[in-house]
Amino acid sequence: MIEKIKNLIARTSNIDGYKITENKISADELFFVKKALDMHRAKDIHNFDLTIYKNFEEDNIMYTGSSAAKIHPTMSDDEILIVIEDAAFAASFIKNKQYPLVEASDIVQAEITSNFSDKPLNEWLPTLTDALYNSDVCDKGSINSSEIFLNKVYTRVVNSKGVDVSFTTYKGEIEFITNWKEDAEEIELYKHIQFSDMDYDLIDEKVKEMLIISREKAIASPTPALGSCTVLLNGSPVIGLLSYYLAKASAKTVYNGMSSAKIGDNIQGDNAVGDLITITLDPFMKSSTRSSAYDADGFPLKPTTIYTKGILNMYHGDVRHCHYLNIEPTGTISNYIIEGGKCSIDDLKTDCYLEIIAFSDFQMDTLTGDFAGEIRLGWYFDGTSTIPVTGGSISGNIKEVQKSMYLSKELQKDNNFVGPKVIKLLNVSVAGID
Amino acid sequence: MKVSMSNFLIDQKPVLKKLVNILSEKYKYVSVLGTDTKGKMHGVQRTGIDLSDSFWAERGFVIRIHNGANYSEYSFNEIDDSSLSSIVDEIHVKMAKTLENLKEASIEVNSYDLIEETLVKQQFLGEVIALPSTLTSKEKIEKMCFIKDTALGLSDLIVDFRVGYHEVHVSKIFISSRKELEQSYIWSEGHLVSIVRRDGNTKYAHKSFSGLKAVELLDELKASIEDVMDTSIKLLDAKGVTPGEYEVICSPEISGLIAHEAFGHGVEMDMFVKKRAKALEYLGKSVASELVTMHDGAAAAKDMSSYLFDDEGVIGTDTIVIENGILKTGISDMLSALKLGTKPTGNGKRQSYERKAYARMTNTFFTAGKDTLDDMISSIKFGYLLDGTMSGMEDPKNWGIQCMILQGREIKDGKFTGVIVSPVIMTGYVPDVLKSISMLSETVELSGSGACGKGYKELVKVSDGGPYIKAKVRLG
Repeated sequence: MIEKIKNLIARTSNIDGYKITENKISADELFFVKKALDMHRAKDIHNFDLTIYKNFEEDNIMYTGSSAAKIHPTMSDDEILIVIEDAAFAASFIKNKQYPLVEASDIVQAEITSNFSDKPLNEWLPTLTDALYNSDVCDKGSINSSEIFLNKVYTRVVNSKGVDVSFTTYKGEIEFITNWKEDAEEIELYKHIQFSDMDYDLIDEKVKEMLIISREKAIASPTPALGSCTVLLNGSPVIGLLSYYLAKASAKTVYNGMSSAKIGDNIQGDNAVGDLITITLDPFMKSSTRSSAYDADGFPLKPTTIYTKGILNMYHGDVRHCHYLNIEPTGTISNYIIEGGKCSIDDLKTDCYLEIIAFSDFQMDTLTGDFAGEIRLGWYFDGTSTIPVTGGSISGNIKEVQKSMYLSKELQKDNNFVGPKVIKLLNVSVAGID
Repeated sequence: MKVSMSNFLIDQKPVLKKLVNILSEKYKYVSVLGTDTKGKMHGVQRTGIDLSDSFWAERGFVIRIHNGANYSEYSFNEIDDSSLSSIVDEIHVKMAKTLENLKEASIEVNSYDLIEETLVKQQFLGEVIALPSTLTSKEKIEKMCFIKDTALGLSDLIVDFRVGYHEVHVSKIFISSRKELEQSYIWSEGHLVSIVRRDGNTKYAHKSFSGLKAVELLDELKASIEDVMDTSIKLLDAKGVTPGEYEVICSPEISGLIAHEAFGHGVEMDMFVKKRAKALEYLGKSVASELVTMHDGAAAAKDMSSYLFDDEGVIGTDTIVIENGILKTGISDMLSALKLGTKPTGNGKRQSYERKAYARMTNTFFTAGKDTLDDMISSIKFGYLLDGTMSGMEDPKNWGIQCMILQGREIKDGKFTGVIVSPVIMTGYVPDVLKSISMLSETVELSGSGACGKGYKELVKVSDGGPYIKAKVRLG
């Protein structure tokens, strides 16, 4: 099919480049209610994405216009030709500053491996199910329902500059809901995990952890109206909060004027007194569904440290936006490692604090720095005792709290993220329940 | 102008019928949904232009069979006469073997009754004022660039003004032994985002536009340039809200967000099957103020989720979810209805042919009241008018609600003070919020840009709305 598309492109005049991305996805999916299988789904999908590039000059400015379109395998030659011609027409007036396409490279990249390749996808399903339900043995709590997805994705990227790379990745995904009932009403919590290796213990541990925190939520009291207090974020919310620093260092964000972060500056401010962040992008992270030796343009990736102790070393991004900033491209890397801080989690728990492990939906606005979320489960320590709490919300702005932000020594791994398990923020606004 | 049905899908009908017939020899229920959705996303900002196929663009099929115990599905996007046997083998051999392996691993399998269908053959073709092809992509981009350039010239505080326009032409067919359905319609959505900066403080305001429309939407965008820019500049002086409970007036957009998050998700009846919905215990009981009536349905309004049939081949309906404060019923997909012994409401929707169908909202809204907005504002001693949806999250089991809102305009003694708070997080216990509704304005407005997820995935198009409502909520 790629050869067919290339031949049809060759029949279209006035094109300066193209990129074709082929994706072949096979998947098995299981849907459970309690422990019983409610539905089995499978899929075999074959898609092609085409981008056409056109260089042109207007008012002495050089532009590289581009337009992207999907090509379905059931399209006739005539249909594909129309898609190509429409994309070529569009590319001829899309005024994006000129940039080069990714060139073919001699770099030999390490292969991303997965133990899911050991046998057919459907043969993993009993093991995945067993791992998910292994610890579902409590009297007062259980898995309410779950969904298991296992995808095998073949990707090939071909462009007019000679790039022709292909690789196969695996994407495992489990969503599950846990219930717990004590004396009050039954509660539920939601968990979504992603992985690219079969790791029975990882899945089992996540279920155990969710059952434990579900039990805590079932006995939680309303969050008190604390006004302003020390907040410890635990687990997933830490990832959401720290995503701010990735966005600020993105070449695209900087080029668009949405980030004013400067190379050599301390992103947390020169008078920061807390832990300073060190972030490395790692395209080869183990068991990440986002690991890839090449980015979407076929650019070969390598580990890159973008912040060291708060200092921005380099921007990260695709060839186009790095070219605009006149810097070496890193390619688009979606895995990141953030170093832990100096203190243990126990050491961070001093004085009064509100530790939050589950939000309804923690929101981090990387443009303004605002963050907020409704509390589904936290623990409030008033200086003498700790109680589980639920309800109410927190809100703040990272630019105001990052100077005295403390990262735990203990790390967590969550799909494409390795970093502190807990982060401590001072003077965060808490809307509790009076 | 009438929207035309996909020729591709029409051409595939014979082979799809053949496939249904072959599979029907072994399985007691077989259906196939075919989709051919085309669309373009246009984006313009200070530093560049984007033009690509829509996120919703797709062409493929999903087969559903009753496997003897429950239902299995197979999604694929390559088909012709010669590939029929491999599709049949996938279901007959591979999927059957997978199910067998799971049973051998002592995994219990839920059972479902057979879907009973009545004989129906229907077609729906939507209408728009001007088809997407009325303007070339170049003309659309030029109109958008004009909007962007006009806005950038209005204030030095603007660092970017983004314009988005997205048009989608949906075509679907559904074929089973007793059903032959076709539909084709167009929707579009657009947005304006004004990003401003002063002394390192960055804020933005946005406004969305949507409907069963096409290029006419671009003129609606043009008319709101100054409004969006003004709002963004005012946000530069916004304060944080002092956490607490306040009397508020919610704009129709925020009313819709409440309808959607507070009760829409909570009455999706697959949640009833899983016993994840507190609403199940409240059927026939009071859950809201007597002033509150709430609808959902593909046939309840003409907006983003209006269609003839859902992704399980069930004709869309108009469901009264809450009537005068009493919870009447939920909204359901086909399989949940089978399990619960209820009638499906035409709410079985998929993100795409590649995904499972779930019970999902369509057009969800509170009906109008009899109050004027002026009277509502006058009645507030100290509170806010809330406007601008940022995000929301449901909690069907425990009836919590989280709504992220762009801004609150302060009201004191019945008058706006000029003070703005932003951003605002609204939280609360759903019945408390709905029972606190004391006034509703006279006009209902619906909107449906963006997408609705179930949890954090399975995106579908919906619309929601209502009149202005007065309520008491917790803000932070």
